[in-house]
Order: sequence, then C-alpha cells, then structure tokens
Amino acid sequence: MLVFARMRYAACVVSLAVAGFSAVAHAQKPAPKPPTEADWTAIAKLPDFTGVWELTFGAPAGRGGAPAGRGRAGGPPAGPQLTPAYAEKRRANLAKGAEDSQTANCLPPGMPGIMGQPYPMEFLLTPGLVTIVVEAYSQVRHIYTDGRPLPDDPDPKFFGTSIGRWENGTLVAETAGFSPQTEIDRGTPHGDTMKIVERFRLADPDTMTIETTITDPDALTAPYTTTRMLRRHRTWTLAEYICEENNRNFVDQNGKAGINIKKD
Amino acid sequence: MRRFVIACAVTLTLAPSLSAHHSFAVFDMTQEKTLTGVVSKFEWTNPHTFIFVDVPNDKGVVESWAIEGMSPNYLGRRGWTKTSVKPGDKITVSVRPLKEGKPGGMFIRAQVGDKVLMPTGAPTDER
Repeated sequence: MLVFARMRYAACVVSLAVAGFSAVAHAQKPAPKPPTEADWTAIAKLPDFTGVWELTFGAPAGRGGAPAGRGRAGGPPAGPQLTPAYAEKRRANLAKGAEDSQTANCLPPGMPGIMGQPYPMEFLLTPGLVTIVVEAYSQVRHIYTDGRPLPDDPDPKFFGTSIGRWENGTLVAETAGFSPQTEIDRGTPHGDTMKIVERFRLADPDTMTIETTITDPDALTAPYTTTRMLRRHRTWTLAEYICEENNRNFVDQNGKAGINIKKD
Repeated sequence: MRRFVIACAVTLTLAPSLSAHHSFAVFDMTQEKTLTGVVSKFEWTNPHTFIFVDVPNDKGVVESWAIEGMSPNYLGRRGWTKTSVKPGDKITVSVRPLKEGKPGGMFIRAQVGDKVLMPTGAPTDER
C-alpha cells in the first residue's frame, strides 16, 4: 500500500509540475481574442473563396517552369533553377533509380506537392483563419490571417507553418518550416530556409488562380514560380480519402515499386 | 474526329491523375491488352478501384486478372458508381499489363453490355 501511496504522491507532484509549467508557457503568449460580430461581418466582404475547388490540369504555365514540367515556348527552361550543390543532390537522388515515391505507401506529399493533387480542396473562411481541407490523403492546411508573424524557428512540418494577409482581394500566404521529407519537385530536396508564398485570387466568380513562388537560398538560384488554376464545383462535397483503406501499391526499401493483385 | 479529340484529351489528363498516388513503374505503358471475361469482384475503394475479372488464358485455364483504376472519389465525379461493374457482368476491358507478366494491369477502358466506361474525363457537373 505504501508503494501505491508513494506512486500517487509522485503522480501528484508530476501533475502539479506540468500544470505549473503549462501556466508559465501560456502566460508568454496572449490568448487570441474571441471573434466578434464585426469579425464575422468582415468575412462577408472578402472574396468568396468558400466551397469546393478542383485543379484544372493543363492549366497555364508560370514563370520559371510549368506545373507539369513543360516550359513555355520562348520562356525560361522548365523546372526550378538549382544551385550546383542541389543539382548534384537531385542527380544523386534520381540516380538511385527509385521507381516510386513514398506516396505509393500512402505517405502524403508535403508542400508544394499536396496542392497539385487531382482531387478537390474545400476553402473555409473564419475570423483570423483560412482552412484548406485537402481531399487527397484527407489532409488539412491552416493559414492564420489574424496578424501573427511567422515563428522565428518553426518546427519542420509537411505543410510548414502558414500565415496570410488580404491584399486587394488576394490572399497572400507565406509558409516556412518544412520537413526534410518534402521536396520542391521530384528528387529535388529543399534547404532549411525554404519559403513559399502563395497568392490566391479569383480570376472570375468560379475560377481561382494560385501563384506559388518558392525561394530557397540553399537550393535555388532564382525564385521558382508556378501558377495553377482551379474551378469551383458548387454542387460537390468533399469525400473521405483513406489511403490505407485498400492500398495495393507499394514501394520497398530499395525503391522497387510493386502491386498486390491477390483477390481477398 | 470528335471521338479522336476526346481520346487525346483523356490521354493527356490521365498522366497527372494516376501519378498522384503512385508511378506507372509496374505497368508496361507501351502495351495494350484487351481481355474478355466475367467480373468476379469490384473493389470501390481508395486509393484505387480494382476490377477482378476471370479470363480464360491461351490454354483455356481461367485466370483472375486484377485491374487497377482511379479512386471512387475521382470516378464518382465522372459518372461511375459502386455498381458500374458488378460480379457476373461480362466485360471487355483494355489494360496496360503488368511488366512482370502476372495477370494484372491498369485500366484503359471497358465495355459492359452497351455501357462504355472510361478512366477519366470531364466532371459530370461540367458536361
């Protein structure tokens, strides 16, 4: 019994210590103020981004390379312009000859790949926040528009950490802090300080363009900009996408792709 | 001509669609094989649909083919339903066969009765 009593005492000490620590940690950050009626009213004056959107493939290319890797006639060469060190990293990665990426094993792509999927995305606007629900791999992005700055040293994440602001009807989102598991494009890793700026705007009532500019002093010699176009589908709702539901595709540790064709 | 244009559009849009989840590495994209058989199972599941078809081989032995298509999310917005293909249906289906010769492939198109099933296309709300 004494042992249990001691354990309970220890548990109490730990709990109190944790609670005290949390209180201190919270005290350093002002709590966000609850949204007011005016905050909700202000949303009605923003461009109507709400609803379900899907990429139109074969959309116009951007500067410095097209989404599908095709350059425009007379324009700069397709794809990101890499520093010698990252061109070498890319060459080495591709030379390994992996037949597929980890998405075959259901690992979601990170930024910017998650924004290029052949599945719709739903935009939700609430005070101080734009939420993008991505149907592919059932993922979600949060873009904080409450005036907070980007953190100085964000933890590395697949989608990074995003803040945004509205400029004349354009949502300008800045994202930093990316997991080393994400790529600029196939085989091209990014540096620790990669930044992505996305400009979301309505080209017409049911067409959205997203201009995406990647800067990365380690990997890129010039900003890499692509533009994608999305169509709004007012009658659609998002569906679940549980990649592990019945994934018969895989890539093994040696990069060999495979498929399970056995009927269960 | 119109049919040709549609076929080209389908071909052009197929690449980004299927490559989103995995590469084409296991399929021989230079080959097209047409199979006729009877559907034994239709898996209407993510991340890909699978149609299982019993097909007699050259020696008359029935083999079970596994034919991978796009996801229900994608196909469902392009006219397919979970009953587009049913066990017992007689089907003629074209595939990109597996490189290693096993009975499997990637769906190109199919005919079930008088119904033609395509792997992609414009969303139904834009037709």
